Amino acid sequence: MINLFFFGCLGDLAKDAPTCIANLEPDATPQGIRQMMKADHPELFKALSEPQVLVSVNKMIVKWDQPLFEGDELAFLPPVTGG
Amino acid sequence: MKDLVCVQADDFSLADEYQRLRDINARVGAVVTFCGLVRDFESSAGEPESKKPVNYLTLQHYPGMTETLLDDIVMQAKARWELVAVTVIHRIGTLAPNDQIVFVGVASEHRKEAFDAAQFLMDYLKTKATFWKKLTAEGGEQWLDAKSSDSDAAAKWGEDSHD
Repeated sequence: MINLFFFGCLGDLAKDAPTCIANLEPDATPQGIRQMMKADHPELFKALSEPQVLVSVNKMIVKWDQPLFEGDELAFLPPVTGG
Repeated sequence: MKDLVCVQADDFSLADEYQRLRDINARVGAVVTFCGLVRDFESSAGEPESKKPVNYLTLQHYPGMTETLLDDIVMQAKARWELVAVTVIHRIGTLAPNDQIVFVGVASEHRKEAFDAAQFLMDYLKTKATFWKKLTAEGGEQWLDAKSSDSDAAAKWGEDSHD
């Protein structure tokens, strides 16, 4: 199982989206997880597809084709606005 | 540990934080501090002339990742300049106009390093640390957009080796 986190504006769009993926495919990637949202959560999928959205695995920024493993924590990060 | 990185809901005292940096050792010849406050208006990204009122801001962050990123930003500042100590405090939760939101303090032997490092820390923090602001005004809520002026400010320091 991997846990999913959606931050900032993505959290509002992900209210009904899954918070975990129970059965991880062997070749799963963040890109693939994003694609899974397309049918049931089209607005979230559109927002996740914005070029400025970053993805992290286990709290490290990674590329969208990073392989995912059991127990990973996957987070989708819109542009930050702290300070 | 001379450096201090904190993400907290509680307010902070500028006087206490200044004193901590001042007291670290007698090598300290300069302390530069910066406090960011919540404004009662927000300009839209790309429309600097349009100002929206702000009743309050809600700050979200990614626990664990934010602290790591802030530690990394402090390390980068210490690699670029000779600094005695650095403090970064960022508040989370609900904040009202005029509340303190962020503190950056830098102690060094000479002023130039402290001024430059404080500016670098703020520029990097604004574009790299995992914080998100939601604005509440007149009954409505809205996540703030990132500003290109902030990414331009960070870009002027050049790319770091950690990206």
